[in-house]
Amino acid sequence: MNLDGSAVLHGSPDRVWAALTDPEVLARTIPGCGSLQRVGDDEYRMDVTVGVGAIRGTYAGEVRLTDQQPPSSYVMHASGAGAPGNLRAKVAIELVPSDAGTTTLTYSADAVVGGPVAGVGQRMITGVAKRMAGQFFTAIDAELTGAAAAPAAPRPTSAAVSSTTAPSAAPTRAAPVPAGTPALQAPGAPAAVAADLRTLAVGAIGGAGLTLLGVVVGWLLGRRRD
Amino acid sequence: MTTKLFGEPVRRREDARLITGRGRYLDDIGAGALAAAFVRSPHAHARILDVDVEGALDVEGLVAIYTYEDLTGPMAEPLPVLIPHPQLHAPRTGYPLANGVVNHVGEPVVMVVATDRYVAEDAAERIVVGYEELPVVVGLDVAREARAAVHEDVPDNVAARHHQETGDVEPALAASPHTLTFTQTIERSACTPLEGKGVHARWDADDASLRVYSSTQASTSVRAAIAAKLELSLDRVEVIAPDVGGGFGVKIVHPWPEELLVPMAAIRLGREVKWAEDRREHFISSAHERGQRQEITVGYDDDGRITALDVHVWHDNGAYTPYGIIVPIVTATQLVGPYVIPVYRVVVESLYTNTVIVTPYRGAGRPQGCFAMERTMDRIADALGLDRAEVRRRNLIQADQFPYDQHLTFQDGRPVVYDSGDYPGLLDKLTALVGWEQAESMRAEAAGRGKLLGVGMALYVEGTGPGPYEGGHVQVLGSGKVLVSTGLTSQGQGHETVFAQIVASELGVPMEDVEVHTGDTRRFGYAVGTFASRAAVMSGNAVALAARGVKEKALRIAADVLEADPGDLEIDEGLVQVKGTPGTSIPLRTVAVLSNPLRYAFDEAAKQATQFAGPGDDSKPPVAAGDAPGLEYRDYYSPIRSTFASGAHAAVVEVDPQTWEIDVVTYAVVHDCGNVVNPMIVEGQVHGGVAQGVGGALYERMAYDADGQLQNASFMDFLMPYASEVPDVVIDHQQTPSPLNPLGIKGAGEAGVIPGSAALASAIEDAVGRRVAAMPISPSELYDLVRDETAERTAASARRTGVRA
Repeated sequence: MNLDGSAVLHGSPDRVWAALTDPEVLARTIPGCGSLQRVGDDEYRMDVTVGVGAIRGTYAGEVRLTDQQPPSSYVMHASGAGAPGNLRAKVAIELVPSDAGTTTLTYSADAVVGGPVAGVGQRMITGVAKRMAGQFFTAIDAELTGAAAAPAAPRPTSAAVSSTTAPSAAPTRAAPVPAGTPALQAPGAPAAVAADLRTLAVGAIGGAGLTLLGVVVGWLLGRRRD
Repeated sequence: MTTKLFGEPVRRREDARLITGRGRYLDDIGAGALAAAFVRSPHAHARILDVDVEGALDVEGLVAIYTYEDLTGPMAEPLPVLIPHPQLHAPRTGYPLANGVVNHVGEPVVMVVATDRYVAEDAAERIVVGYEELPVVVGLDVAREARAAVHEDVPDNVAARHHQETGDVEPALAASPHTLTFTQTIERSACTPLEGKGVHARWDADDASLRVYSSTQASTSVRAAIAAKLELSLDRVEVIAPDVGGGFGVKIVHPWPEELLVPMAAIRLGREVKWAEDRREHFISSAHERGQRQEITVGYDDDGRITALDVHVWHDNGAYTPYGIIVPIVTATQLVGPYVIPVYRVVVESLYTNTVIVTPYRGAGRPQGCFAMERTMDRIADALGLDRAEVRRRNLIQADQFPYDQHLTFQDGRPVVYDSGDYPGLLDKLTALVGWEQAESMRAEAAGRGKLLGVGMALYVEGTGPGPYEGGHVQVLGSGKVLVSTGLTSQGQGHETVFAQIVASELGVPMEDVEVHTGDTRRFGYAVGTFASRAAVMSGNAVALAARGVKEKALRIAADVLEADPGDLEIDEGLVQVKGTPGTSIPLRTVAVLSNPLRYAFDEAAKQATQFAGPGDDSKPPVAAGDAPGLEYRDYYSPIRSTFASGAHAAVVEVDPQTWEIDVVTYAVVHDCGNVVNPMIVEGQVHGGVAQGVGGALYERMAYDADGQLQNASFMDFLMPYASEVPDVVIDHQQTPSPLNPLGIKGAGEAGVIPGSAALASAIEDAVGRRVAAMPISPSELYDLVRDETAERTAASARRTGVRA
């Protein structure tokens, strides 16, 4: 299964890169992220709690990065598993400078979805994954523009996001996360994202699996800069 | 023998269950199942540009969404052409879910699965499918013009050109003293069973087995289709037709997309999934029938005897041809009816249109054929000034001409050879039953009341009970219960009653001991299906043969016990006894116990069959070579060809010249289906058929607009006759047994519907004196016809009124 998309983020590639690689930022911008942990060079583990209502479940994901060309591209190899199924994906990400100091991020994922979640239909998986990615990018963009504290950010559209607030915050410096240190606990997703999550009712297995795929995309972007 | 139930008007034993709400229909199954709903094409012809599911994702309870991209292996291929034929030169079928193009309104594009149907529907309506509309082909005229094509690789829209002839028709017509040429049309209608289609599937992942319930007329073949399409071993799939609320033909088509997609979803999700068709779905995405245009040229002599008949039919087969050209073949071959047609040529062109598929509906092309032939008889009579009954009589095949070979090839690939019949007998009974000779006095009496009265008639011959085979299994249990199973399915015909009557009669047991099961592949794996008025002929004979096998074994075992010759034994009321020697007997249930030599006595009855129960013959094994334990037998009936039932209908109608309301005041039926198993059930079949015949003649049509939108896809707008519109039916029976099968029976299921449009058109024409060449006819259409100065007047009317035609 292939999943492609893009987002326009308010910041230069360097700023975007920095934001995306700050574990604290990631912990609060990846939808449903419970913890992030570095387990080795360019290898990370995360737990994601997904789903609403009957769909609730915790999923463990692992990510390995290759072909890093900061601040312009990576390839991420990810896998995740939870009760509703499992996922293996290879995602190529590019950051390209765009108009007015923005960065266009494009991703191209080649994913293999297994287990019960694989049975829910391709369009549903990609639909949810795109939405998850959209939520992530919206949250990231809010970090970049300093709008994260706003109580009611506009609902993100699929993968293209925009903001009416001018960029103001300086790039957040990522703190190194040594292997073996306690995982960062997510302080709770921004309100807008949480609200979206509540409405993200895609059926027990579907939602969880798709979140994983969305998370994979997010996680790729969330690696700390070397 | 006192246990003689064959031929008795035994009350239907299934009715108590069915009419008190204890039936188990598809939607009664799987209360906790996930529900499927479909996004169906709103366009008659369009390219699918994209499917956006985003809006559906917020629906709480959504579980899965499937499109064509989710179909793999054989599922991604077109649905099967079930009945290929060399003359079906351009067969086309759809996909389980549309693959890039939709060819009729109602074609499934997306399947949604959710926690219940409400949620599934909510999600389905939030899915946005982008379409690019393509030129639409609706109606036979547009299809023939072929300015647009339904399938781009079939530019003339012709799926098949079916052609049969029995001689050189053109010289025969040229040599005929008289000829007539005319055109007729028949509208589309549909089966509209009370219960739509429905599928429930449950996948047992541990057992790797699938159980599917489907409201089908062909459970064994649905099973085979599911196994093939989902790449499962046949032994891992079981298909059961539960109680089915009517079929009338539409449920013989298979596999319906839903019959494949629901099991596919059940397997992928590991959950029970169910879909029950709603009424709009049934109208726009199941199947229709009947729509034809007929161009007829007939040659005849001064006495009204036909010398040659040339018929060209244009048949609207809808968007696809999954059921082949069965309807065209049936029209072509059954058209000739009970008549001697010295030279006959028929061509049926089967055309694609952007409408839902056309597959057999009770009668399956015969009502149209009957309409062509019988209206031809009426026109000959009118042209010659002869009585319509007399013209028919002169053309009938006589009772001494059987077997009568029409030199045509039937829908089963076998010759159209009428096995038996007495057509002059039918006509005599009919004219007496309806009071044909009193037509003029009836007309005068009605005229005194301000009504226009007319009489009409139509005769038919119906090929019934086509092969290739059906099977039956009969087993006597130690309890005395007799289990009967056959693979074909039931849709309310009364199979539980008639098959029990047959087995009870053959075996000599009380009917209440007999339990009948149909349409369950767990019980009987080999079957063809319920269609073409074949259940009584095929499974009736199969269960009779199986019962005879059981009886033979029972007598053999009992003869040992009673120390008698098997030939001296009989079975009556479940007791095997020596003929003429009361008291020397053994219950059949005991014979059943003894038929299965046992080591273990699990109950009192079983003790009798254990190894120390009595003196045995140490020189023989307990189960003889070639024998088997148990008192059961399985047998099959496979006919050499179809058996041909026949009948004659007459209608008396009164037309109100103020409202042009058409009132059917008398409807007479003479019916010959060979030996009758249960006259009450046969009459019930006739009544139901007449109701659908009246519907087809006066009410039912599928109102497609030029864009291929079905404008009357609901019971608010699609008229059907209610009890108030169905006439009282008077019935007379004639029995000419079939020489082709052991029970001498012929099919009865479809007969009642066949002559309806022909007989009523004849009667209405007789009442108003205007040629009726298109059916159905509504009061408004009749009003327009009578007011139309250019409308053709009948010669009979001109003679009656002195107005020249």
